[in-house]
Amino acid sequence: MIDCSTSSKEIHLSFDGHSIQATQGISLLEAWIKAGLPLTENVGCMGQGVCGACRVLVRRPGERLGGTALACETLVEDGMQVAFIDHFPAHRSHVYDLHALTNSWAAIDQIDNVFPEAKHCRHCSGCDRACPKGIEVERMVNLAAQGQAAAAGALFDRCVLCNLCVAACPEHIDPAHLGQFVRRMNASFTLRPSDLIMRLHEIEIGRQPIDFGTPGANPPLSASIAKENAP
Amino acid sequence: MNATGVAHAKALEAWRSTSPAPAQQLNLPVQDLLTRFHPDRQPGAMVTLQVGPSAGQQCPAALAALLQADSLLEDVDIAGVPYLDADVLIIGGGGAGCVAALTAARAGARVLLATKLRLGDSNTVMAEGGIQAAVGAEDSLQRHFEDTLRTGHFAADKALVSALVSEGPEAIRWLIQEGMSFDLDENSQQMGGTLRRKKAAGATAARLLSYRDFIGLELMRALREAVLLQSGITLLDRHPALELLSDERGRCSGAVLHDLARGRAVLARTGATVLATGGAGRLHFSGFPTSNHYGATADGLVLAYRLGAPLREMDSFQYHPTGTAWPVHMAGTLVSEAARSSGAFLVNGKGERFVDELQPRDVVASAILREMAEGRGVMRAGQVGVFLDTPTLEKSKPGILANHLITLQELAHRSGFDPTQEPFLVRPTLHYQNGGVVIDPQGRTPVPGLLCAGEITGGLHGRNRMMGNALLELVVFGRHAGAAAAIDMRIQRPHNVGLTHLAPWRRSLIDRGLPLNHKSPMIFPPYGNFDMATSRGKAA
Repeated sequence: MIDCSTSSKEIHLSFDGHSIQATQGISLLEAWIKAGLPLTENVGCMGQGVCGACRVLVRRPGERLGGTALACETLVEDGMQVAFIDHFPAHRSHVYDLHALTNSWAAIDQIDNVFPEAKHCRHCSGCDRACPKGIEVERMVNLAAQGQAAAAGALFDRCVLCNLCVAACPEHIDPAHLGQFVRRMNASFTLRPSDLIMRLHEIEIGRQPIDFGTPGANPPLSASIAKENAP
Repeated sequence: MNATGVAHAKALEAWRSTSPAPAQQLNLPVQDLLTRFHPDRQPGAMVTLQVGPSAGQQCPAALAALLQADSLLEDVDIAGVPYLDADVLIIGGGGAGCVAALTAARAGARVLLATKLRLGDSNTVMAEGGIQAAVGAEDSLQRHFEDTLRTGHFAADKALVSALVSEGPEAIRWLIQEGMSFDLDENSQQMGGTLRRKKAAGATAARLLSYRDFIGLELMRALREAVLLQSGITLLDRHPALELLSDERGRCSGAVLHDLARGRAVLARTGATVLATGGAGRLHFSGFPTSNHYGATADGLVLAYRLGAPLREMDSFQYHPTGTAWPVHMAGTLVSEAARSSGAFLVNGKGERFVDELQPRDVVASAILREMAEGRGVMRAGQVGVFLDTPTLEKSKPGILANHLITLQELAHRSGFDPTQEPFLVRPTLHYQNGGVVIDPQGRTPVPGLLCAGEITGGLHGRNRMMGNALLELVVFGRHAGAAAAIDMRIQRPHNVGLTHLAPWRRSLIDRGLPLNHKSPMIFPPYGNFDMATSRGKAA
């Protein structure tokens, strides 16, 4: 949708090598679309900022280095240089089976077993600078390496799995996946809600039957007809 | 729609002078409201399907154009192309596809998981409100069953709804075992605590479980990791499906995928195929904005229909009451229902409430459209909507925005205002496909070898889906479809695989005088500047 009321000030930027024009107030992703360029990747939720698909490198005039951002959340600025960062192959070197981790005493050891590079963090803060959500990635890595699973996991609450920290890490720590590992471990090992367990037990012993014939399960009209037809 | 409203500044004054606005019941019978204002019921919104297994049924014109179009492929297009052989093909990398893939792989199947965008890019990851499961002591499976049927206007298939609600608690356990977290009650412990429960619109009990206000992200993170780590699953990113494969007896034997990176077709030949391609929001029916992700273009629906799978309630879509109306570059983006279920009011341009905010979505959406149509909306920079009163909510429950409505607060900041001081401007947005492909409780369609799970299916939600049942559906029926596919793959290995169903399909199009130059599926919305038919024409 095009909003005629926004100021018509033209903005010029370079996007993946294309010189394009855009109007003020629109996102980088919209600028790409409105320039007529094909959009078949690097896109997902289109503005909600939760899918982490539209990763870009952005450099503003006067800046020596580019930074990372999400194209749906970043508004166009004059003179910007932008490039999509292609999505990462799903190759995984850090392999674990959550269901095979049955001994919770050994869980903390697993962090180091599966992600041995985590203890080699050189505190370069590359991951922190890469994260478009402002997560303290490096602190999470350090806490996880110390075995503080819950504290580490809590820091990764807002992660959108864009994997930019994975690309930024020179030690191949895979912070995004380490963050998910500690989060998943926390939930699967410690989350045991009593109300859920009681209800599962009731279902198991047959005390939660479902009746298709109750008045509440039928439209008011057919209920009254059924009454009339009843012997 | 012709919508006018009170100027924003004047509406803000009215809102300030009445805040907190007193509750006001709808002053129009619900049936009249829906008939006059629900987008599905407007003249010209629906057309009658002329060909295919559900000919005679109604559906939106934009969808009918895709359902009654010709294939992008001819027999010659699949001659000599590379192929992949496996047991089960899953098409769609959202929640339902991931759950089905995990289930099938754990049952011993070699699984291909093909997705148009990237694993996890879906409506699932965008879900905010919650998932329903009857775990409260005062609640029961029967109440969840009845609430779902009533909210869907008693049009749903009882056997499907029964399966959905009975496996609700088990689905929550399954998700926790996959490493997903849920909100707990305040001062509640991880071990032996109680789940935080909210009341969804249309529900008689608090059974909406949440994870902050981004439950979809938390769910998708766990599922995406699980899929990446699961042996037996081959992931095919950027591989949209162009057509299903069939044998001479009409059994589905896989699909023709398009490898976008290489610009060429690939055949996936499998004993069973699960479609989990989601909904149709990106078709923007009646010009509505949508809360859906970029890929929601009804591809799977089109392919299933062409192969002979019947549809149901295809004339029923859900318009979420609260999409962003202003600013325009965020138009359609969801403002979570968590705001209303936490107690936020809807206020019109005259500072009045006009509907019980916790009525079912179709009622609330229609009530908002009525305010907009009758001049009581709020107009800002050419956009019309109504206020979602977050400042009053924050005043009555201090800290709720910062602690529980995080996505909401972030959305406001990206829109450039402070939600504790200024209300959101919202309007209904195209959100969910209530109907879809007919399935049985195992997720099987009437077409042998073809199963469906998730939003693509019909029968679970009747004519209006209840909040929180979509996430539950994708877990319960993703598991059913994955398990059934791992059985069905043994019935018949793919043989004589081809596009045999297309010849009779084309005859029926010609028979009804429908053009053969309209091609589908759509794959990407028109504003994506990529047309698959043109692209393939160039490649040839």
